[in-house]
Amino acid sequence: MTLASSIEDETDLSDESRVRQTESRNDAESSLIERLREGDDRAYESLIRAHGPMVLSVAGRYLRSEADAADCFQETFLAIFQNIESFERRSSLRQWVRGVAIKQCLMRIRRGQRLRESSIDHMLPVFDERGKRVEAAGPADTMAIGEALDERQRRELVREQINRLPQDYRLVLFLRDIDGYTTREAATILGININAAKTRLHRARSALKVLLEPIMEQTDCNVDL
Amino acid sequence: MLTCKEFDAFMVDYLDGGLPAWQKFMCWMHVRMCRECAYFIQQYRQAVALGRDAFDGPDDAVPDSVPEDLIKAAKAHRDNDPKR
Repeated sequence: MTLASSIEDETDLSDESRVRQTESRNDAESSLIERLREGDDRAYESLIRAHGPMVLSVAGRYLRSEADAADCFQETFLAIFQNIESFERRSSLRQWVRGVAIKQCLMRIRRGQRLRESSIDHMLPVFDERGKRVEAAGPADTMAIGEALDERQRRELVREQINRLPQDYRLVLFLRDIDGYTTREAATILGININAAKTRLHRARSALKVLLEPIMEQTDCNVDL
Repeated sequence: MLTCKEFDAFMVDYLDGGLPAWQKFMCWMHVRMCRECAYFIQQYRQAVALGRDAFDGPDDAVPDSVPEDLIKAAKAHRDNDPKR
């Protein structure tokens, strides 16, 4: 057997094993969905244990308080239980659960009191009278980074800077750039038109660029672009 | 050639790959001719990548498991649901 054919065989085997893994995952998911539809208590607990960490992570990101995140967690699983009949399996169960969690977070945000937030106008692109780009003033309170950041510190700092964005901008950024929805899907979820979503997204990214400049200067930014 | 302001208005669509070929070409040309916009778009993309990376890494705030009291609360919440 040549090396090439041996590698080919190995690739085929790993492909086959991947297919088997996916099939087995699909079977387990189908069985869980069936049991949930029958009202099985243990299936409900299995669902919470399997997808709870992801739901907690989504709620922690969208909502600013731990108490709200915990309430949203409960509302999400109740909504899943109530609507499992309507789940048509056009996406994976995980993606559907994530979507329900995001929807619950947005409902809670809309019901909540709007916090006083600072404007990002001074961080938006500026143009002269001929339409030529000129440097924006930037934030008055630029963060100072004294020492070299490790990856963990950098991620933490970036999360802090994203959380400084006003709510409308933060939400569109989460939906489009973190949760991976298309701009059109993000617009639908937020209940705004596509052009408004594009404008918000561009402003959010432009402001974030200004907020992250000290990090970009300090690190090599070796993240996938 | 597009002005920087005109290019800026196309930026989301340009990066999404959602522009018709002619507009895409105009944007592409602008980035090659304008140092300020080339620098801006480079940093803009880095900011997007850093944002994505901040919630996608091993230290992301995804807990390994859910606290038991929260699981109990979620089960109780469903049991007390009047629609059940």
